[in-house]
Formats: sequence, C-alpha cells, structure tokens
Amino acid sequence: MSPSSAEGTTVPVLSFRVKKEFQNFSLECEATVEDGVTALFGPSGSGKTTLLNCIAGTVSPEEGRIEAMGKVLFSSSVGTRVPPERRRFGYVSQDAALFPHMDVWGNITYGYNLTPKKDRQLDPGQLIELFQLGPLSTRNVTTLSGGERQRVGLARALATSPKLLLLDEPIAALDWVLRGVILRYLKRIRSELGTPMLYVSHSISEVMALADSTIVLSEGKRLAHGPTSRVLVDPTLSRVAELATLENLFDAEVSSVQVDDGLAELRVGDATLLASDVFAEPGDKVMISIRAGDVILSLDISSRTSARNAIKTVIEEIHPLGQRVLVYTDIGERLAVEITPGSLRELGLHVGQQVYAIIKTNSIMIMEPTQPRPGPGL
Amino acid sequence: MSASVLLLTLQVAIVATVVNLPLALAVSWLVVKKRVRGRFLIDLLVALPLAIPPVAIGYFLLLLLGRDGPAGAAIRAVLGVDIVFTWVAAALASAVVSFPLITRTIMVAMGAVDSRLEMSARGLGAGPWRVFLTITVPLAYRGILAGVLIGFVRALSEFGATVIVAGNIKGQTQTIPLALFTSVQTGDDQGALQLVAASIGLAVVTLLVHNWLLQKSRLQNVQ
Repeated sequence: MSPSSAEGTTVPVLSFRVKKEFQNFSLECEATVEDGVTALFGPSGSGKTTLLNCIAGTVSPEEGRIEAMGKVLFSSSVGTRVPPERRRFGYVSQDAALFPHMDVWGNITYGYNLTPKKDRQLDPGQLIELFQLGPLSTRNVTTLSGGERQRVGLARALATSPKLLLLDEPIAALDWVLRGVILRYLKRIRSELGTPMLYVSHSISEVMALADSTIVLSEGKRLAHGPTSRVLVDPTLSRVAELATLENLFDAEVSSVQVDDGLAELRVGDATLLASDVFAEPGDKVMISIRAGDVILSLDISSRTSARNAIKTVIEEIHPLGQRVLVYTDIGERLAVEITPGSLRELGLHVGQQVYAIIKTNSIMIMEPTQPRPGPGL
Repeated sequence: MSASVLLLTLQVAIVATVVNLPLALAVSWLVVKKRVRGRFLIDLLVALPLAIPPVAIGYFLLLLLGRDGPAGAAIRAVLGVDIVFTWVAAALASAVVSFPLITRTIMVAMGAVDSRLEMSARGLGAGPWRVFLTITVPLAYRGILAGVLIGFVRALSEFGATVIVAGNIKGQTQTIPLALFTSVQTGDDQGALQLVAASIGLAVVTLLVHNWLLQKSRLQNVQ
C-alpha cells in the first residue's frame, strides 16, 4: 500500500510531531507510523483521542508538524492547516456516528460519492460484501445493533479509499462477544485490503491481537514505541497496562462439534483445542479468548489432570514484569502465559525449553453470538 | 372584507419569512456551530425585538427608513422611491418582529444536532458548506420548520410596528390586523367578525401545511 519513490525509499504513511496544551494537561508526542496496524495505547486520559483528533484535523495543535504520504497536512512554522475533509483519512469513533437520516447504503456511499474518481480504490458493493451488510443495506441505521453500526462505520470510512484508517476505540463500547466479531473484521481489513490503521485502544489484549507496532502514551507523553511484541514486554509498561486481564485473542476454525458432551474441536494456529459451550458449526471461523492467567505451564503431562488441552510447545521469551512473569510460547500463534516469579524459579524455565501449555476447555471463550442457531425443524 | 386584505396579509408574511429564513440560518450557524467571537452579543441582538414594544420597533424603523433617515435617504438616492408607508415597509416590520422567534427556534434545533456527526462528514470529505446542507439542515429540519411556522404566524398577526412604519392605508398596507383595528374603531361588527374568522382560517391552513411538511420528512426518513 505504501508508495515508494523512484529511489526505492519508502515514504512513511504518517509522521507527526504534536504539541497541545490544556489547562492541566499537555500532550507532546512525536512518531512515524509505517504500514500495517499501529496501536496508540494508553490508559484513559493519556491523550490518545486528542492526538488522533489532531491527526484527523478536527483539533489544531499549538505547535508541530503532521505529514502523510509525503504531504504536509499541518505545520505550525509554515502556517499550513489542511482541513479534515482534504486529509483523506477514514475516521471511526467509538459509537460509529452514523448519519441517522440516511439508510445503511446512504451512509456508506456518502464519502464514496465525495471521493474523486481517480482516488476510488474500493467500491461500496465490495465493502457491503466484506462486512456482510447486504441484507441491511436499505435499513434505517437507528434500528441497527451496536456491532452492525460499527460494521457500517468501518465500511463508510473505507469507502473513501483512505490513506490511513483512524480508529478511536471502535470496539470499546461493544459487549465482550461483539468485540470479537469486530476484531475479526479489523483483521480482515488488514489482510484483505491492506489499509494502514492507527488504532486507539486502552486494551492490551486488543493491541496484542491486532497491532504490528505500538505507541504507548501516558499523561500526554510517549512512553515507548516499537514492534508490539517488544513494546508490550517493556518493563515500564506495567505502570500503565492492566496486565492482570491480558487475554490471548486468536482466530480459530471449528473443525468438529461433539454434540453428546458439548465440546468442539478448534484449529488455532498449529494446535487443536477442545472448547466447551460452543454454539457453532464445523467450518465456522470464530475469535477465541484465552486469559494469560488461565494457562498452566507444565514440564510434563505424566501427572493426571482434568484439563483436556495439553499442547506441546517451546518457550520463546520470558519477561519478568514486577509481580508477574510473562512467558511467550509458540503454538502457531504467540500464546502469552502469565505465571508467578516463584513458578519460574521452581520449574527452572528458560528460553528454548519444551513445555506443555495446559488449558481447561471452559477457559477458552468463544467471542461470537452464543444463541444456538435454529435447527431445520424450527 | 375584501380578498385584497387577505392576499396582502399573506404577501407581507411570506416575504417577511422568506427574507428571514436564510438570515436566521446564517446567524444560527455562526452562533451555534461556528461559535464565533461575540456570539453573546449576537444572541442579545437577536432576542432584543422580542423584549421591546413593537411600536418602538416601528418607530425605530421609521427613523431609519424615513425620508431623512440614513437608510431611507440612501434607498431614495439609488432607487428613487420611498419605502415607508408601502407594503414593503409592512413586510420589513413583520420581518424584524418575527426574526427572534424564527432564529431562536432554529438555534435550539441546530444545537441539538450532534457535532460529531458533522465532524464525521468532514472526515468523509465534505466541506463545511456541504456538511451544513447534507447533515445540519436535514437533521435540524423539524426545528427549522417549527421556526418558520412560528415566525410566519407572528408576521401574519403583526400590528404595532406595521402601523407606525407602514400606516394603515386601505389597499396598500392594510393587513388583516390593521383592518380589524379599523373595523373595531368604526363599530363595523360584521366586518370585524369576518376578519377574525379569516385570521383563524389562515392559522389553521398554516398549521395544516406545517404538519403536512413534517409528515413528508418523516416518511422520507423511514425509507
């Protein structure tokens, strides 16, 4: 997606230096955003949304410079300020902000019709298909559910063929199950459309599941910036992140459903996991959540255990983070496991060591609507 | 009562409303959406005609538009006509008196339009003018309609300012309220009752048109 100049050097998707003063808060941040998904991570009140609004053009920084794809959008020294409508970013907010006086189709085509023909790369029909909005296209948006609204919001923003998608906590207002659904759509945008994204979030789990690189903001200052796998194990992060609730969010495919005991077999990365309470059918693609603290590491599986999943894996990284230790293992996906410093010592765990990741079936949560589908007789 | 009184009343009120609407939309946008500096002062100026007697407004307009008044002299120099004591002066008086009603109603309606929707539209490539026409106005439509209704009925019933700046000239500036005043003064009870009935008729028709427009917009929304 990112254009290359004749010399072969890549122009960054976005580079910014922003300074904005408020009465009792000041935002000062500088970064270069590359292709892929970049997370803007931090606790609430850290200035993430203000920074995103500065980039979108709805808020003017006092000082700084914002450049996208080599084009200057804001410069306090030159006095440039490109208005939001000419920045060609797609913006999706927490509540989608759909136009209530237009139907789904009207919302999606609003920006598309304003996009110059030569810049149109995605057409509304394609987006309707990607977000599975076909049956809803003539619906009044005020009758949509939260997840449907967010899908329309994403399609509407993408219909302008944006250079960069700005996402302000797009799934924070949704219930837990719908978060998984929208997260899967976001991953599809990344893999199928390749649109770069700047993703504001205060959920470390979402960031881990989605972002290639991460900017950590705290009290208006940049705390860290780099590849997500590096940044999320930065010892300074334990100050701002709720590591206790860290979830592994994985794409999975249902391979078989055992009706008698209510268990289903899921393909996740290279592993096959058994999960309970799955209302899905073989072939369904779902998002699952496994809390890092719910995974047990064991040196062997000789001892009898009630847990049904024991995956042979290798330790890739060990990061002591204050009161806890984060261990990353490879099951075809990066599985984060949280253990105590005591366990680390007693088991003598080290990088490269073979271990078993043990997961109970009911620790695997399916993030999909749980109502059973009507059977043929209904 | 002659049909000309009815037609003149309608003409005066329609012209007053048509002149007011774009102005009211512009002022509301400046105060509510653009949040210009000095909006408090604008707000005060908008409300002022509500608070002072219509006769005082008429007198002020007379001073302004009269032969020796600054505006009157200028118009005379350019167009060679006098405005005072014509139906134009009556329309102007109605416009000034009804302006606060239409503007304040539209301000409230525009204020209720979520600015995040307007921001979203900007982000999707719409300039400020397009956002105003495709987001702000359609979403404030019912309030704008209500403002137009209130302004229009106020213009229909305008008396005090009109009688001062336009006089009470039969066939030229005599609208229903002025004709009613004359009828009552001369003891023409039958004429007075006819004029009252005409006023009620106008009010009912206006309300019916208003409701019909509302209904139409609601149907469009459902589609």
